[in-house]
Amino acid sequence: MELGFDASRSLLWIVLLPLAGAVINGIFGRFAERRLVSAVALGSVAGAFLLALFAFSRLVLARVGGEEGARIAYTAYEWFSLTLPANPAAGQSSVAIPIHIRFVMDSLSGVMTLVITGIGLLIHLYSVGYMSEDKGLARFFAYLNLFMASMLILVLASNVPLMFVGWEGVGLCSYLLIGFWFDTPAYAAAGRKAFVVNRIGDFGVLLGMFVLAGFVAVQFSGSSPTTVAAFEFEVINQAASRMHTALPFTVFGIGGSVATVAGLFLFLGCTGKSAQLPLYVWLPDAMAGPTPVSALIHAATMVTAGVYLCCRLSPVFLQSSTVLATIAIVGSLTALMAATIAVVQTDMKKILAYSTVSQLGFMFAAVGVGAFGAAIFHVFTHAFFKACLFLGAGSVMHSVGAHGDADVRKLGGLKHYMPTTRWTFLLSCLAIAGVPLTSGFFSKDAILHGALTMTLVPGGGLLVGGLVFALLAVAATLTAFYMFRLYFLTFEGSYRSAEAESEAHHSDHHHDGEAHAYDPHPHESPMTMTIPLMVLGVGAVVVGYLNLDPLVHLVTHDLHLNYWEHWLDPAVANLSAASLPGVDHEPTWFGYLAAGVGTLAMITGVYTSYRFYIIGGGAPAEKIASLVPRLHRFLFEKWRVDEFYGFVIVRPMKELAKVAGSMDLTFVDGVLTKLSSSSVRLLGWLSVRIQSGAIYVYGAFMALGIVFLTWWFLQPHPQLLVTSQQRSARFEVSPGAGYEYRWDINSDGVYETGWNNDKLAVEYEFGAKDPFHHVLVLSHQTVQPGRAGRGRSVSVMRQDLEHGGSFVLPASVLPTGWQRRDDSGEVLDGPTPAFEIDGSGVLRVLPNSAQLRVNGRPVTEKTMLDPGSTLTVGSLVIQVAMRISATVEVRNVYGKTSSARADADLVLRRPFQIPRQPTVSKLTLPESAKGSELQ
Amino acid sequence: MEIGLGEYIGLSCILFGIGTVGFLIRRNILVQLMSIELMLNAVNVALVSFNRWHPGTLGDFDHSGQVFAFFVIAVAAAEAAVGLAIVLSLFRLKKSVASDLVDQLRY
Repeated sequence: MELGFDASRSLLWIVLLPLAGAVINGIFGRFAERRLVSAVALGSVAGAFLLALFAFSRLVLARVGGEEGARIAYTAYEWFSLTLPANPAAGQSSVAIPIHIRFVMDSLSGVMTLVITGIGLLIHLYSVGYMSEDKGLARFFAYLNLFMASMLILVLASNVPLMFVGWEGVGLCSYLLIGFWFDTPAYAAAGRKAFVVNRIGDFGVLLGMFVLAGFVAVQFSGSSPTTVAAFEFEVINQAASRMHTALPFTVFGIGGSVATVAGLFLFLGCTGKSAQLPLYVWLPDAMAGPTPVSALIHAATMVTAGVYLCCRLSPVFLQSSTVLATIAIVGSLTALMAATIAVVQTDMKKILAYSTVSQLGFMFAAVGVGAFGAAIFHVFTHAFFKACLFLGAGSVMHSVGAHGDADVRKLGGLKHYMPTTRWTFLLSCLAIAGVPLTSGFFSKDAILHGALTMTLVPGGGLLVGGLVFALLAVAATLTAFYMFRLYFLTFEGSYRSAEAESEAHHSDHHHDGEAHAYDPHPHESPMTMTIPLMVLGVGAVVVGYLNLDPLVHLVTHDLHLNYWEHWLDPAVANLSAASLPGVDHEPTWFGYLAAGVGTLAMITGVYTSYRFYIIGGGAPAEKIASLVPRLHRFLFEKWRVDEFYGFVIVRPMKELAKVAGSMDLTFVDGVLTKLSSSSVRLLGWLSVRIQSGAIYVYGAFMALGIVFLTWWFLQPHPQLLVTSQQRSARFEVSPGAGYEYRWDINSDGVYETGWNNDKLAVEYEFGAKDPFHHVLVLSHQTVQPGRAGRGRSVSVMRQDLEHGGSFVLPASVLPTGWQRRDDSGEVLDGPTPAFEIDGSGVLRVLPNSAQLRVNGRPVTEKTMLDPGSTLTVGSLVIQVAMRISATVEVRNVYGKTSSARADADLVLRRPFQIPRQPTVSKLTLPESAKGSELQ
Repeated sequence: MEIGLGEYIGLSCILFGIGTVGFLIRRNILVQLMSIELMLNAVNVALVSFNRWHPGTLGDFDHSGQVFAFFVIAVAAAEAAVGLAIVLSLFRLKKSVASDLVDQLRY
């Protein structure tokens, strides 16, 4: 078994090969020969297909060997890691969530990988012929290979974020390829539309992904930090059984169980990517892209990504009946609505586009009724016949020289010119219509059967299942009708292009450019185009045999020939009748009913079509259209959904954009930008006036600068910084090169230290005998309501009392409303409180009838104040502080000295008793205090 | 009288002062350039004298001040070359070498 090549490593190369092709063609393709470009593109996809076959065969061997959950996994590296923070309230510790670049091929993604690479290879081959004349061949193949790589990442990813990379990648490629011929404005607009509509859905995917991963991470979190790969599909599906618990919050008003919220948001993403109501509108427009693109991306692979996502997370979806019912009804309504539109369209690719929307509706109806296996089965069969139909349409367009789309009214009788295209097209029509023994019959039968199984679910299952069954039966009838209408109009009868041209010449209202006639001599397409057609045509018939149950069950119920469901079983959970409460096994007539209704719908549709277009030559259809012209017009104009969206969403958005745009022009550009630019301009204009332009002026300033610098370097410049606290202060001098210092710590003129060059700071602890000044620190105390004690103090002023010797409080600093009253309560006018210092340095205060409190006690007489005392007059607080000062002298290397002095106000919390001799001296009063009475 | 460092530095200062005043008061660009040369040479005198009286760590073998003087001479030569070229083209433009006529680059 040792091939020197690991099966798991092949997963990496399945993705990398197309990516490499895209890079090579994208960078060098335009310089290379067309054959080389084609070879690179084709070779990379062929390599991926062979590797997929190799890996898939290993998977099959493992399954045959009895290994039920066989899977191949390849982990490249850890991409990034998230951390869910700890939630102490819930007793949860933090959770690390690693996200790996990891690919897994199990039974589900294996099938998808084979479909993508296989059909992708055929369509690449087809494109070599189809795009042979196009000048953008290299660009086309680069985009197409990039799409293959993205789609393979999408299906092989083992976790949601990596899948989202693919999800966005295919969206990007879809946009690039729809707008491939971007010089036609309508095509570029179609690409934009697809991108924007998909964006809405992607938003849902992100939200759903976060809800799921968040829930899983919380589930696994414990008391100690853990690591949970909460984004892995496997882990999410394992935790699915607990997802019926209610989400503790709502997301945009959507609440309910975890499975419901996550499922609804994921399904929103699916409606975008897989073109379901209400976000299907981009897909019909996407036909602007080259036909192989329509076949590969917009029919066979990318649009089925939504179905794939639902199946990947099928255990989650099965937890919420709300989500399932929503999906089932949306899917079947889409199937029916798109089918009604397809009935009256006249362009080949438009019909096929609406047919695709309708068939995707079938798939989602299957998802909604819990028949995930059937949904993937329909994805599988649909990939064959729809790809074949699109390629057939492309072959026709190539043959008749139609650009963009081909009008079936101008075609006809092509079976004589292009037999291979005709036969493969017919086979695919039979398959999509559901003719027994073709693939479409089996997959459609499985879906109808699933809807019937749904009716057994208690509590609304009968209603939902019955409704889905009825809607799908009608849609299936319409499908058979419009597909054969398309076939008959294109290939039967006679070639009408010449007639259409002569009519166009005679009629007045033909639109220019579109009215040109097709090539009068259609021819069969080259081999590169017909080989894929033949392969796909045969596939459209035979791939259904993977599930022969519908036919076998008509005869016996003992034999099961359902390889499909058996194969998918480990990867996809299904709603089975046996698991429902009170149901042993589903009634056997379900099988007959599903097959019977499916066949009946097919016969009705095909026969009506035959009557209308072969026997009646189209006349009956015109008659019906003229009977109900308004209905016909309504259907022809696609239910006017685009017009509705345009009116409800696009137009208001455009109006809003206009308003925002004018805001930008007037406010941002007009005011903000102009204002700032003109202020800068003004500043510039002003500063430019300083410039004289005369050299000698600049020279003079330079000389001045030299003088200044010389002085600066010759003279020392000490700076003294003070920090003080209670009774201690710290003085620090700024350092300088070559400086020496000496300190006079109490500024008494005597230097306490000698010259030294390392004492940059001194600590000063106030001692009783140290000299000091009295300083009054005045501040307003604001009393905040509702709070006890002192509020904030607002500093007002400081007053040094050494020089003046006395100080009268200016009336301006006293609080408003402050009044002095005499004993009888009369308001007094006159001097305010005054301070004075006697010869021995004792500070006293004279209240002058003010209601003055010293250290909390009211005083009315001249009172001695110690440093650290606190006076209050109303809300004015006066603290008696001690001002000490230090001086430092600095000497530089030239012997120049300079000194700096700094003061520190020591504001004490408690009065500080200074020992002194009691002296009685006569007080000298300030002038303003003379008038008041003193004893 | 002993001629020491102070005298040389004094000479240097005088030369530098003459250069500065010359640069500031003369309007002839050629004279101003010469004044600049004078200032640069004042610096050279200072550099060489300092090197003589305060040699570096290498003692008698230390010639860094003199080497600096050589650098200054080289730079002064380059400056003179560029300056004269500018003066030449200025003369073609203005038919004059008066520096107060030259203020085109003001704004």
